[in-house]
Amino acid sequence: MRRGVGEGRGARTGLITLALGFLGLMLALPLVTVFAQSLSNGLGAFLDAIRQPDALAAMRLTLLVAAIAVPANVVFGLAASWAITKFDFTGKSLLTSLIDLPLSVSPVVSGLIYVLLFGAQGWFGDWLGTRDIQIIFAVPGIVLATMFVTFPFVARELIPLMQGQGREDEEAALSLGATGFQTFFRVTLPNIRWGLLYGVLLCNARAMGEFGAVSVVSGHIRGHTNTMPLHVEILYNEYDYVAAFAVAALLALLALVTLGLKSLLEWRYGHAPGAAH
Amino acid sequence: MALRPRAGGSALSIILNNISKSFGAYAALHDVSLEAKDGEFLALLGPSGSGKTTLLRIIAGLEFPDTGSVFFGDEDVTDLKAAARRVGFVFQHYALFRHMTVADNVAFGLAVRRRRDRPPKSEIKRRVEELLELVQLGGLGDRFPAQLSGGQRQRIALARALAVEPRLLLLDEPFGALDAKVRKDLRRWLRTLHDSMGVTSVFVTHDQEEALELADRVVVMDYGRIEQVARPRTIYDLPENAFVYDFVGDSNRLPVTITDGHASFAGRPLAIKVDGAPDGPAEIRFRPHEVRLTSSAEGALEGRVTLILPRAGTLRVEAEVDGLPRPVELDLAADAPVTHGAPIRFVPTEPRFFAS
Repeated sequence: MRRGVGEGRGARTGLITLALGFLGLMLALPLVTVFAQSLSNGLGAFLDAIRQPDALAAMRLTLLVAAIAVPANVVFGLAASWAITKFDFTGKSLLTSLIDLPLSVSPVVSGLIYVLLFGAQGWFGDWLGTRDIQIIFAVPGIVLATMFVTFPFVARELIPLMQGQGREDEEAALSLGATGFQTFFRVTLPNIRWGLLYGVLLCNARAMGEFGAVSVVSGHIRGHTNTMPLHVEILYNEYDYVAAFAVAALLALLALVTLGLKSLLEWRYGHAPGAAH
Repeated sequence: MALRPRAGGSALSIILNNISKSFGAYAALHDVSLEAKDGEFLALLGPSGSGKTTLLRIIAGLEFPDTGSVFFGDEDVTDLKAAARRVGFVFQHYALFRHMTVADNVAFGLAVRRRRDRPPKSEIKRRVEELLELVQLGGLGDRFPAQLSGGQRQRIALARALAVEPRLLLLDEPFGALDAKVRKDLRRWLRTLHDSMGVTSVFVTHDQEEALELADRVVVMDYGRIEQVARPRTIYDLPENAFVYDFVGDSNRLPVTITDGHASFAGRPLAIKVDGAPDGPAEIRFRPHEVRLTSSAEGALEGRVTLILPRAGTLRVEAEVDGLPRPVELDLAADAPVTHGAPIRFVPTEPRFFAS
């Protein structure tokens, strides 16, 4: 049998143990703890915790925010990657780097930007105030902050994929007489559907899990402007560990489902999300 | 259907007037004018970067010229978009829609038509089958492109382009991605298909053999300019300049001194008469097969055989000649008296001089 280059069996075993140990300690153990803690007073206590009106309100708000932010960013992500990969225009590189901005800015800063813009003392504060429109410490602010943070996920998934596929398919469709819309819906979209789904999944996971940016603009009004992550923090600060971990367990479950779907997608459409076929 | 010659055999001509095109600072085409006659099979031949693909894409409406105009027959299509030009375009890598079956690929151009122009489903189905038969792939309609070989994909791409009854057929490196055997077969088949349809066709290639074998006329391009347009035979026998001469076949270069039309090399007179060259130093060219072996040293080039490669019916011989940087290439009869390492004497029979 061929031996691996360099390391002997001892080193190999050592490295694998180290890697697995680290993963177990840093990733698996916390996950197990979340579920164990949430069920520490039995299933009944768990169910009671997630059936509290405030908890239900937090879940509804989280779902609502995701239901707005994810489709919005799908549309934006599609438009941006379509424009960037299929056309040449001035300002293209600027747009490409702007898309990455939310990833490099701390979520707290993203939240603060919206407070500075739309808060009572903000740039548009007076204008909004006189018209009785509330954005900060209300649902619109939470949606905006979430959208900002999840901005790049769909576009970043699609741009490399569409770049790899080139423009020939679209040009073929056009030369066969298809309109721009027909080309998009019959050729471009089917070519990127798995990548798009993958992007939606990541975008959704981040939208539901976002804490920092949302925390700044939310105002933490129970039953009104608390999303699930914020609700977890409140419960935890009130030493209501079982309830905190119960809601946290739901979020962790979301992460696991996302992970499962992601693996399924990767298995379904090849090894890498960027695979051509 | 329109796969047969149009009534009266009136295929369209393509006329390009003074086309220029730049991509940023890079000028891809300089003032190119060209006409493809009705029913003609035209080859755009040139090295990569010569502008041949850009020219093809301008005909298709996939690029637009900075200046100049494009006519199909007497219709000015310069500003017409690709979708409106009714041109069949076969892409180098076929660009088949990978998520569609072969039949759906071929039907695409008909299926995207406006409702009132769209044939009924049964008619589309019938035409797809007819086209698949035409490209000799009947029965493969349910496959996906990934399940086909390169040559099959090529023919599907062609069938898809023909489905819309194109006014012209444009092919970008149609055989570039195929292996040698398949390429030869497809080449002949395509020529037959073109002749039976009578649609004016233009194809791009960097392979001079392909262009010379397949086309009615060959357009040789370099650096965004047309170097020569002529029938294949003329291109090969009467190239207008050194670039065309070098590009369409193997060539040897020989620095000589001309005196009264007679050439001498390294101070020794050669039995070579060169037409059109002024007195003084000049560079002449000759093809490997255009030489005569001789036994006398007088008037001949002398070299030493460094390589003998038997080819079908001939010998490719390389000979080192003192004073030349590269060995001279010679194509000799299979029974030519050459020995590795032995001296060899030869006289170019058709030397050519090109003013630069």
